[in-house]
Amino acid sequence: MILEKIFSHGKKERQVTEDIERHIQLLCKACEIFKDALERNDRNLMYEVVGLEREADAVRRDVISHIYEGAFLPYIRPDLCKFVEIVDEVFDELKDTAFFSLDFELPEALRDESTRVALLNFRMCELLLISFEAMIKGEDLRDKILGIRIYEKKIDDIKLILWKDAEQVPVASFWEGKKLSDLLTGLTMISDFIEDASDHLQIINVSTR
Amino acid sequence: MWKVLSGVLLGWSLGANDSANIFGTGYATGLVKYRTAIWLTAVFLMIGAVLEGSKCMEVVGDLSSLTAIEAFYCALAAAITMTALTILAIPASCSQAIIGAVLGAGILSSTADFSKLYKIVACWVFTPICALFTAYLLHRILGFVINKTIISLTKRSLLYSAGIIVVGCYGAYTLGANNVANVTGIYVGSGVLSAEVAALIGGLSIALGVLTYSRKVMETVGKGIVPLDPFSALVAVLAEALSLHLFTQIGVPVSSSQAIVGAVVGVGLVGDVQTVSLKMLSRISIGWIMTPVAGGVLAYLFIRVMT
Amino acid sequence: MKVHEFMTTKIEFIDGNKSVYDAVERMVDRHIRSVVVRFAGKEGGYGVLTTRDIVFKVLAKGTNPKTVKVSEIASKPVACIDKDMNFDDAATTMERSNIARLFVCEEGKIIGLISLLDVMAAELVTRARGKHDS
Repeated sequence: MILEKIFSHGKKERQVTEDIERHIQLLCKACEIFKDALERNDRNLMYEVVGLEREADAVRRDVISHIYEGAFLPYIRPDLCKFVEIVDEVFDELKDTAFFSLDFELPEALRDESTRVALLNFRMCELLLISFEAMIKGEDLRDKILGIRIYEKKIDDIKLILWKDAEQVPVASFWEGKKLSDLLTGLTMISDFIEDASDHLQIINVSTR
Repeated sequence: MWKVLSGVLLGWSLGANDSANIFGTGYATGLVKYRTAIWLTAVFLMIGAVLEGSKCMEVVGDLSSLTAIEAFYCALAAAITMTALTILAIPASCSQAIIGAVLGAGILSSTADFSKLYKIVACWVFTPICALFTAYLLHRILGFVINKTIISLTKRSLLYSAGIIVVGCYGAYTLGANNVANVTGIYVGSGVLSAEVAALIGGLSIALGVLTYSRKVMETVGKGIVPLDPFSALVAVLAEALSLHLFTQIGVPVSSSQAIVGAVVGVGLVGDVQTVSLKMLSRISIGWIMTPVAGGVLAYLFIRVMT
Repeated sequence: MKVHEFMTTKIEFIDGNKSVYDAVERMVDRHIRSVVVRFAGKEGGYGVLTTRDIVFKVLAKGTNPKTVKVSEIASKPVACIDKDMNFDDAATTMERSNIARLFVCEEGKIIGLISLLDVMAAELVTRARGKHDS
């Protein structure tokens, strides 16, 4: 078992690393498409986000099985899996929000701010990918984790304005109001999960030093 | 030749108990499979016993003049002492048990040479201390070097995986080299066996213990010790092995269990962590006193009553 | 990094004929350091009133803020930049004009504001992104 690991020169580890990078890249792509779809009010584009989530699910399953086929030291495997699960949660939230926006058209008054949030979510994902690559290389993550937190704080600031503006939007019924609320909640929760993922990366980083 | 059987029993119990000091952490953290661990231990242990096992045999024989039958009872007394203390969960040192037994027999036959005892006791005391300092220094130095040179997660993973195996094999080698004298050294002193044959039989008996009965101890080894990260576990075993190898050159058989405890404390000191509880330390201290005394008393009684 | 990515869109407006006291109330309540002043009548246009203006020009002089109009102490015109300007250029502009904030404008409308803190945050994020920054 160990000899195989040594002579494979880290092939399994490389496979897992590539898989996880692919997983996060899919997330970045999905966030970017979501932002564009929201900005242009393009329903077809929004459906692509849902398709990407399905693809990401398959990648996630590959990652987990490759990890437990013997990549990395046993004590680090659960942490890596947890990280992948958190990224999956981001995807789920993004997919749900995509569905909400397909079900309920975002009022024009809220489009600018919502698009900004979507853009910042995309930026956070990019930084998450950079952080993961840095962690594998053994680099310091402090500045990257801080960058993600700064983005999250910005989104929090916009969230306040968004909700205040939403209160001014007239709704025809309770259900319309609920759909608007679900859409905005989903949109602003994505960044919380990305921040969780980055925090978990830091935990893995610290535990392996 | 049947008199060698008690030594074989002693060797078997030593193998069953002490192999956990080598691959215990590796097994507990899932780095090494049980079968891999025991076979590697058995093989390298044998090599150590055959190549350097005779170095410590003289010291055991020099303490008292023993006849063949007295040698038998000494080994038996040591084996029973070891088993009893293991059941009481007091870390038992085979070296201390056999030396105590030999002295007990020597007192009875008035051939006990206490002057040699000072060197032996000094080595016992210094075993955990030596392991502690070695572990502390290794952790600091190796840690510094590795942090500067191997920073990628993948490379570190490979390093630790390979490291735990290499260090484990070395640990098994030094265990065989140092401790085989405990098991069959008395037969050399009493003229039953030559040093080479004693090393072979002793090594085989320890290997047998490793292969047949070490699983239980390996599984519980984690309970008494703070869970170590792979690097610390590697350093602890290396420090223990180096200490044992050092004392092999000095010619005194020492306790690998006490060495590993010292090493684990040393590793903990790096991070300012108390890795061994005061309760554990007091148990070890009790063991230090009880083991040779029990071994000596038992041997005295056996020989007195049976011959 | 473009300024529109990190700008604050939480902009408070106040009419020029309101008192400085009204402005103080609003700013303390919302925890903000500046408000945009809307000038009425022929003058029109916008100005900016900052905490510095209020403290140095009114409170430190012992003047009653209720008696001073916002339009009297506001700075005009508002320093505007394009939303696609880089943060580096924005920082240079701030340094040259010795101002702590810039307003982001689009087609004559104020759409956001960047402060010194935003410039610092943008710098941190740009460094974190390293050579990956587009």
